[in-house]
Amino acid sequence: MNLGEFARKRLGFASAALMAVALLATPQSGYAQATPRLDAQAENVAREDIPESQAAEPSTLDVAPGAGEVARLGPEWIKGQPALGGVNFQDQYSPNGEYALWMHNAILLPLITFICLLVLGLLLYVVVRFNRRRNTVPSRTAHNTVIEVVWTLVPVLVLVFIAIPSITLLARQYQAAPEDALTVKVTGYQWYWGYTYPDNGGFEVISNMLPPEQAIERGEPAILAVDNRLVVPAGEPIRIQTTGADVIHSFAIPSMWFKIDAVPGRLNERVLYIEEPGIYYGQCSELCGARHAYMPIAVEALPRPQFDAWVLAQGGTLGGPDLPTAPAPRQEPESSVSGAPGAGVPEPLEDPAAGPNSPTAPAPLSPPGVTAGPTA
Amino acid sequence: MNRTAQFPEKNGRVALILLAVAAGMLALGFASVPLYRLFCQVTGFGGTTQRATLAESVTAEKLAQSAGGRTISVRFDGNVSAGMPWTFGPEQVTQTVAIGRRNMALFSAKNNSSVPVTGTASFNVEPEQAGPYFNKIQCFCFTEQTLQPGQAVDMPVIYYVDPKALDDPDMKGVEQITLSYTFHRKG
Amino acid sequence: MATTADHFQAHADEHHHDADHKPGFFARWFMSTNHKDIGTLYLIFAIFAGVIGGAISGVMRAELADPGIQVLTPLVGWLYNETDLDQALHMWNVLITAHGLIMVFFMVMPAMIGGFGNWFIPLMIGAPDMAFPRMNNVSFWLTFVAFISLLLSSFVPGGTGLGAGTGWTVYAPLSTSGSVGPAVDFAIFSLHLAGAGSILGAINFITTILNMRAPGMTLHKMPLFVWSVLVTAFLLLLALPVLAAAITMLLTDRNFGTTFFDPAGGGDPVLYQHLFWFFGHPEVYIMILPGFGMISQIIATFSRKPVFGYLGMAYAMVAIGVVGFVVWAHHMYVVGLNVNTKMYFTAATMVIAVPTGIKIFSWIATMWGGSLEFKSPMVWALGFIFLFTVGGVTGVVLANGGIDDYMHDTYYVVAHFHYVLSLGAVFALFAGFYYWFPKMSGRMHSEMLAHIHFWIFFVGVNMIFFPMHFLGMDGMPRRIPDYPAAYAYWNQFATVGYWIMAGSMLVFFANMLYAFTAGKKAAPNYWGEGATTLEWTLTSPPPYHQFETLPVIDDVDHDHGGTVAPA
Ligand code: HEM
Ligand SMILES: [Cu+2]
Ligand SMILES: [Cu+2]
Repeated sequence: MNLGEFARKRLGFASAALMAVALLATPQSGYAQATPRLDAQAENVAREDIPESQAAEPSTLDVAPGAGEVARLGPEWIKGQPALGGVNFQDQYSPNGEYALWMHNAILLPLITFICLLVLGLLLYVVVRFNRRRNTVPSRTAHNTVIEVVWTLVPVLVLVFIAIPSITLLARQYQAAPEDALTVKVTGYQWYWGYTYPDNGGFEVISNMLPPEQAIERGEPAILAVDNRLVVPAGEPIRIQTTGADVIHSFAIPSMWFKIDAVPGRLNERVLYIEEPGIYYGQCSELCGARHAYMPIAVEALPRPQFDAWVLAQGGTLGGPDLPTAPAPRQEPESSVSGAPGAGVPEPLEDPAAGPNSPTAPAPLSPPGVTAGPTA
Repeated sequence: MNRTAQFPEKNGRVALILLAVAAGMLALGFASVPLYRLFCQVTGFGGTTQRATLAESVTAEKLAQSAGGRTISVRFDGNVSAGMPWTFGPEQVTQTVAIGRRNMALFSAKNNSSVPVTGTASFNVEPEQAGPYFNKIQCFCFTEQTLQPGQAVDMPVIYYVDPKALDDPDMKGVEQITLSYTFHRKG
Repeated sequence: MATTADHFQAHADEHHHDADHKPGFFARWFMSTNHKDIGTLYLIFAIFAGVIGGAISGVMRAELADPGIQVLTPLVGWLYNETDLDQALHMWNVLITAHGLIMVFFMVMPAMIGGFGNWFIPLMIGAPDMAFPRMNNVSFWLTFVAFISLLLSSFVPGGTGLGAGTGWTVYAPLSTSGSVGPAVDFAIFSLHLAGAGSILGAINFITTILNMRAPGMTLHKMPLFVWSVLVTAFLLLLALPVLAAAITMLLTDRNFGTTFFDPAGGGDPVLYQHLFWFFGHPEVYIMILPGFGMISQIIATFSRKPVFGYLGMAYAMVAIGVVGFVVWAHHMYVVGLNVNTKMYFTAATMVIAVPTGIKIFSWIATMWGGSLEFKSPMVWALGFIFLFTVGGVTGVVLANGGIDDYMHDTYYVVAHFHYVLSLGAVFALFAGFYYWFPKMSGRMHSEMLAHIHFWIFFVGVNMIFFPMHFLGMDGMPRRIPDYPAAYAYWNQFATVGYWIMAGSMLVFFANMLYAFTAGKKAAPNYWGEGATTLEWTLTSPPPYHQFETLPVIDDVDHDHGGTVAPA
């Protein structure tokens, strides 16, 4: 740490500390508007050691060929990213994010600022008014039932008051995606992300962090820029499903107020709604091993037609999951476990009460609308 | 006079009780594994699916018919964990099914390695609140599966969505349930 | 009653010679059964561990001063002769893991409970020693060996590099299949030993407090510090075994092929998190409750007033302890909980703010109308109240499950828990240290240096941790050694704060040096009439064996707890 340099480049410590205090008091300071300097670390040496291809390409996948050639948004589209020296939340680009930000800025922040100032004020008052010089004889008061009841009940009421928007926010965040929402499965690997599009042919896009020099070349922020972004349509709900391939990762996009863990052995789901086209960055948010710092998330939201074009350019299909295709040929499997339910064709179901409308085995299936080869 | 010596029995008794409490919490810690599993199985917590018998499915179907045959979309998802040399995934991305009605979905699995590999599947549904209503009658996830080198199989799951879901306020607005499996290498 | 206070004074003199008979050096410090000696051992140990943990955080702050990897690469080169970038990145995870575990298990807990608890619980309740002096010794040495085991873990393989890099939370599967090699086993073993030591300590404290109070020292007359340690000991007793079970299962998952947390065998990694936080949330209160107790004693002493709302204060701690067991999943809001679970934990977590608020307002009310004297312990206590409030209110923000989706695992959480710990628990520790140091050592420290220490430390830690709120709000994830350039500004600022804080610690050690070489002899009650608990009736330092004759507690002064009857 070079103190001189720090002092030259930045505000003096004193004014910065003052500002910190001032910011506590005036939460919505516009200080954060500075634009990030993207060339900030061009000379950084250590980063150049990061291997170009961080991750082995999984063997069984259709990795999107030439992803990024179609409709790759330029850096002028970057919307969701941290602000240099920012003191505030990232701008929000989803309805839930806007609601949460409102709740924080309009309710929580004023409230906690008030409480801190109240306590600080009381402390200062007590220090000034009841110091030994001004008040030589202490009172012996050790009870006041009224005030004790007040400082129990008032916080209860305040918390009940907070609970209302808090529960509203939760209810909104948990609204289920409509049936026809585009589904993207996000898989966390050590240490990169995979984005699978089951409704579009099941291809998987592998997303690695760009080496910092390349990021800067492209005009994108180092550590946040990736080779292949998560491309989604803007202005419609998207069903994001997450799972972890090895350890727990966490898929986070601050500018969407969005974070959900990717846990191995299970699937998590939340709805993501991006209001407008743009590029939105995030970072893995659960410690996942050595390169945890180096698995950024970059979302590229496109208008629907461009998104469709992008899908086709990846060799994907349009038309949603129910596009009928010929069913895959059935195989006659063996299982080491005799009678295992998985051992090939299911045993005929004995229907104890077979009525005219009851299914018999194998149950009449809705046509298995195969649009995709299995992905791993 | 040493007062420590005054209450050895009394102190000893208190300490023994406390030790028993600690031991009890330790036991509870270990017991939490089966208890948590049971809790998930019973309540569907974490999107844990239910196991049903054929007879139960027939009752459910009757119930559903009297309720007027609503449908719901079911999505299928398959994964393999790290170190599992299989390809595994659903053969249909989604199915639209009548609530209460039994259905079969197929998953395909292939062993890409040159040795026999046994796998077990973990699973859950999303949204989680669908867990208590998602019933499997037959599933490859009930037991271990072994695939010979290069062998490919279709694995069926027979399931139905319990019509009671229609009465659950938490299930309002749920238009699609995703059933997800992850195959893990055993041993 | 067998004796009265004047008796007690007389006896103390009579037995003085006897009472100060100390064993030889080895027997005294290695086989110690004396609560004061063990307390001293714990304090020295905690300071030592704190220096190591603090040095580690210095390395962390140096690395974070600028984007890129600057410090880690030379560090692994120097430590392990490694040049690989992945090793350097793994080293980062080892550092954060060691820092967290050391500060929690080997600094704050040993200092608060082992150090001040051992020293002052028997003194404050008028007992000659702890109920189980030999077990007390075992507790200390278990903690000591635990620390060694943790340090050793940094020199054995732990996956990508040497050392355990799982974070202090040791989440599966990063800690199981994700960390090959014995390092994580050493770390788990360390937690086992430290946990066993703490459970034995908890049993000792509860037994002592329940059984060995002097006549007249009813539960409702005990000083609040004693109450705080009693509640803490119960939390330890109920929470630590659950951690022990969880990490034992980690150990068998790692080494013996079990699958408690491995979905391959029907286990669930999320269950590990439930178990960890079932322990972990009470644990964070374990780290602060004794601090609450010390602050209450100090505020009352320097206000020359009894604590305001004594019963409310005592039962607020009990309430915090009880509610603390049903809020754990607020650490797991983004793991994939359903909406009802998240709503429940949001509501339950907010409930904790109520007793916490009662404590803060009662401290202020204690000072209200008092005759305040700003000796060093009081200044640290005032700092504690304000900074703990700042940490508490951000807890209320985080309690909202929907809001926490943004903050979880960002620097906002780091800011929150350092405000309640580094600026809460640590301020309480320094307050208690300056309050009791002359009592323990018999030497007065320099009040001036203690004040200087306070102000520099105050500026330093606020510069480190306040900007972390900004970083978190700007989206910076925690547990990363390298970051986008946008975060450079406040990170540099925080690193400057670190050096200021470190400088203040030099003042602290200078003060210790001064006290032991030139410090004035301390009188029995050097804080004057405000200090009314039993330890102030004894010499400084107290005789090697105290209260061989029972002090009798008069029952007039309900609110103080533990005043010796006037002669
Ligand atoms: C007003 C009372 C408090 C509330 C409502 C509260 C709430 C929370 C919440 C919701 C989190 C989880 C944040 C996240 O990871 O996303 C958290 C984290 C934490 N809190 Fe508090 N808290 C309170 C007081 C305290 C106190 C008194 C301490 C300790 C002295 C403490 C120590 C911690 C620690 C250590 C963590 C982070 C643990 C980790 O993830 O490593 N909190 N708190
Ligand atoms: Cu990660
Ligand atoms: Cu907590």
